[in-house]
Amino acid sequence: MLRRLPVALLVLFACHTTARPPDGPPARRIVSLLPSFTEILFAIGAGDRVVGRTQWCDYPPAAVQVPSVGEALPPNIEAVAAKKPDLVVLYNAGPNVTAAKQLERIGIRTVLIDMNRLEDVAPAARTLGRLTGFEPQADSLAHAMDRILDEPRPTPTTTLAFVVWDNPPIVIGRGSYLDELATHAGASNVFHDVSAPSAQVSLETIVARDPAWIAVLSDSGTPPAFAKRREWRAVRAVREGHFLLLRGSLFGRPSPRSGEAIRQFRALLAR
Amino acid sequence: MKWTLLIVLSVAALIASVMLGPAAVPLADLLHSDIVWDLRMPRALLAFLVGGSLGVAGAGLQALVRNPLADPFLLGLSGGAGLGAVLAIALHLPGPWALPLAAFAGALAALALVYRLGLIGGAALDPRILLLGGVAVGAFAAAITTAIVSLADAAELRNAFLWLWGGLSGASWDAVLLIAVYAPIPLLVLLAAARPLDLLALGEEPASYLGADVEAVKRRVYLAASLLTAAAVAVSGVIGFVGLVVPHIARLTWGHRHRALLPAAFLGGGALLAIADTLARMVVAPRELPVGVVTALIGVPVFAFLLRRWTIA
Repeated sequence: MLRRLPVALLVLFACHTTARPPDGPPARRIVSLLPSFTEILFAIGAGDRVVGRTQWCDYPPAAVQVPSVGEALPPNIEAVAAKKPDLVVLYNAGPNVTAAKQLERIGIRTVLIDMNRLEDVAPAARTLGRLTGFEPQADSLAHAMDRILDEPRPTPTTTLAFVVWDNPPIVIGRGSYLDELATHAGASNVFHDVSAPSAQVSLETIVARDPAWIAVLSDSGTPPAFAKRREWRAVRAVREGHFLLLRGSLFGRPSPRSGEAIRQFRALLAR
Repeated sequence: MKWTLLIVLSVAALIASVMLGPAAVPLADLLHSDIVWDLRMPRALLAFLVGGSLGVAGAGLQALVRNPLADPFLLGLSGGAGLGAVLAIALHLPGPWALPLAAFAGALAALALVYRLGLIGGAALDPRILLLGGVAVGAFAAAITTAIVSLADAAELRNAFLWLWGGLSGASWDAVLLIAVYAPIPLLVLLAAARPLDLLALGEEPASYLGADVEAVKRRVYLAASLLTAAAVAVSGVIGFVGLVVPHIARLTWGHRHRALLPAAFLGGGALLAIADTLARMVVAPRELPVGVVTALIGVPVFAFLLRRWTIA
């Protein structure tokens, strides 16, 4: 989801789910337009029915074998239609609502599903299970996700700030999935008071709130470039090199692997 | 009296932007606090220098093209800087200064292209062609930028736009030092052209009868104003309204004589941006507003008020 944040700043989201009751037989040719949906479809056993994915869908490894229909932001309607799908699964956001209408117009069934937070995974799994006929598997995944949500939150033992961009500094607030991950892993986000998923803040606020860790999504495993910038060295965690480098594929989106993400997050904090 | 007020306002703006911020720093610790020394002081000084530079660049360009809508970014510089910034990210140029340097280079490239277009009719720089060329080059650069952003893979590319509209978040002593060394040269060039700029307002032909070397003045003013703007964009992105509104406010109060107008535009622009940035940091704390929003919200009502008084008088 995090890749979409800057766009999320620009786009007014439509905030309703238009999942309709399934009409007709289970879907056999599915185009999945969000990495989280692709992961769920593979997790419930419907992976061999996925005939199209986005270029960001990188898990499970078998999903990479499925042909990509591009960035999907917004989706290329003709590239999607060329896969001759009988179901297109879209993330419920402004430009996708229009795309779904266009696909419906050429007779392709679509479903728009919310996928912003941990608690969105279970309902998404149930919806996709119903549409594909893999209901028992979907239910057991949904139960597993519900158990994670029901676990008591550990008492925070450390603090962190998620920095998604350095100039201007943009941090993660309470509305984001990453804030939930941190809470479940036992760290408190120093910007938990910001209700939005992400927000521009001033550097001195980060200095004043003095997080023990700076968390960044990073696939390279090296500290971010801003670590070397002079003004950022006013932040104690930056000076001390306390970076939590989180792989985007595992940590950046709600998915069936969220439980694993929480476990690895805890392990990173315990180092 | 007017000068005293402006100088008091400028000093007050600087003091306020060092004293006030979203982080509570007790008055007694003000001079020992890292937040004040490493973050607020460079940011306040950078805001003042950038705002002042934009004010002067705007005043100079408005006189040069004899168009009240002229703005330091109108002549293709923001488009060029944006293209430079996006290229730096797309090509993964390393180092903390890659982005600002690439933006500066992009702005210079746009500047050179517009300048060359301005000379298209011969040796004389045509202000109308400068304006049209600037808009065209800006649009062209913006189109290439959008194409790169929509075709390239790098997810962080979208953030290039955030950087471009970023304001003063990246302020550091390095940036202050850079501008403090660089800006005085084009500023002095513009100030030295104050008298010929007054004459230019009468039209190019009368100005040359009155002894101004019109062609040389036009080139000097265009290059100096653009070089100022290119440096401003490199350290703080595209900050709107300062370069458009401040020269008009200064002109309404100080008249059309550039010897007074340019220093007034410098102090006014500096004070406006320092105040706007302080408000941007504070009003929605812990969040921060883009500073361009605040410069417009303050600058435009002041401008409207003065315009009203001026047209009634």
